[in-house]
Amino acid sequence: MAQIAPLLPEIDFAYDDVTNLHQLLDALRHHGPVVRIKFLGAPTWAILDHKLLNQAFNDVKNFDASAAYRLNSEPSMGRTLLAMAGEEHRTSRALVAPAFLPAKVRSYIQPLIEPVAHELLDRIAGKREVDFVQAFTRPYPFTVITRLLGIPVHDEEILLQWAVKLIDFPWDPTGALEAKKAFDSYMQTIIDDRRHKPTDDFVSLLAHAAFEGQKLDDERILALFRLLFPAGSDTTYKNGGSLFASVLADPELRARARRSDQDREALVTEGLRWQTPTAMLPRMATGDITLGGASIKKGDWVLFGITAANRDPAVFPDPHKFDPTRDNRALISFGRGMHFCLGMHLGRRELETALRVVLTRYPDIRLKPGSAIEFVGAVLRGPRALWVQPYGDA
Amino acid sequence: MQVIFIDSEGMKTTITAAPGDSVMHCATAHLVPGLIGECGGAMACATCHGYVGADWSRQLPPPSTQEREVLSGCLDVQPHSRLTCQITLTAALDGLTITLPASQT
Repeated sequence: MAQIAPLLPEIDFAYDDVTNLHQLLDALRHHGPVVRIKFLGAPTWAILDHKLLNQAFNDVKNFDASAAYRLNSEPSMGRTLLAMAGEEHRTSRALVAPAFLPAKVRSYIQPLIEPVAHELLDRIAGKREVDFVQAFTRPYPFTVITRLLGIPVHDEEILLQWAVKLIDFPWDPTGALEAKKAFDSYMQTIIDDRRHKPTDDFVSLLAHAAFEGQKLDDERILALFRLLFPAGSDTTYKNGGSLFASVLADPELRARARRSDQDREALVTEGLRWQTPTAMLPRMATGDITLGGASIKKGDWVLFGITAANRDPAVFPDPHKFDPTRDNRALISFGRGMHFCLGMHLGRRELETALRVVLTRYPDIRLKPGSAIEFVGAVLRGPRALWVQPYGDA
Repeated sequence: MQVIFIDSEGMKTTITAAPGDSVMHCATAHLVPGLIGECGGAMACATCHGYVGADWSRQLPPPSTQEREVLSGCLDVQPHSRLTCQITLTAALDGLTITLPASQT
């Protein structure tokens, strides 16, 4: 279908910063609910409409998510849940899912989150201004994952290097495969240890999980660990930046963030809608389908416009306004259907905790006056930097 | 037919529903508070947890292993906890009453 020319051909949604993404999406919406745009230099479909996106997420025949992941990530990431479908996915997901459900997040994970937030905030003590993305929102979810996996503090840096390299396979296959070898060998030691001497931690929980008579073998555990970093760290860090950019800019939102757990939950949910971190998700069509008037063919790349659907005016009135009081039950930030984000509860608890701890530790924290905030990226989206003054104008 | 939802503070919402619909969908379509159903019915999000009275529970097919796994990860689980996305309405369930947990607002 390359003969259908893309709209806005001067913009490549894979490479460009698209600081004005939401304006562009509004302009594209006038052309229809499913449009052609440029992505990685080639015309690509983009679904902008909430109802159609919901349909596409649930259509495992024509939009089998595993097709794209097998192509781009399986060699270095292994067979992650995203590269699985059908029965293999059902049993594998059932084995790991309990570890991410609310009860386990509360007992295994929540106690790890708050100390990490405090440690990172200790490091900005006394500083007049810092880039909050580099100082806090980026290292925070990454460190939560390394603590969850039982990795000692002095190895966090090398783990980060391997984790970043793992997802680089399309650009640096050799480097990605080397990183996989090093990462696996490091993590295998921890898995072996927990298999022999289970503790009450997350790795032990997975090492001994059982479902319908099956258990997780080492490779399935390793595949989950490899996936944790890109899935659970990049997304949360981008969204953390966007959340603090909104909350710190508005005295009313800041007051709400200090009020109650329910208020923080509402702010986090609205942040996930207003500036969705997984903004446009590349998928490959696995069947011929007509969607919103567009004739999509098997093998075509399709961008799932999650951030567009989250600002679909038919579902969210006055969609560009950050309003934590709105009804957000149609939120589609974590996807829909069988691949629904496994880490949703973890990500939400991290962001809610961050709001509470940051505003308790630094009640006068403010955005640096005159410092413009630019949200960048159409695949993963968040602020490029977020300059703050932890002590206000002191 | 009708389905009755009672939130954690005792507020009652009565919804007119149709056989074939899921209890979760019936609640979200009418914006019943205390039930989210974020994954859309794939037993993947644990946000449509509800309590079914003992009498009603006996009339429902038992939960699948996958539903039981997800329920075991929900907060405030009780003997007659169910994922409401897994309950399909039939005419015999007219008047079905679901109480919603406080942890799911």
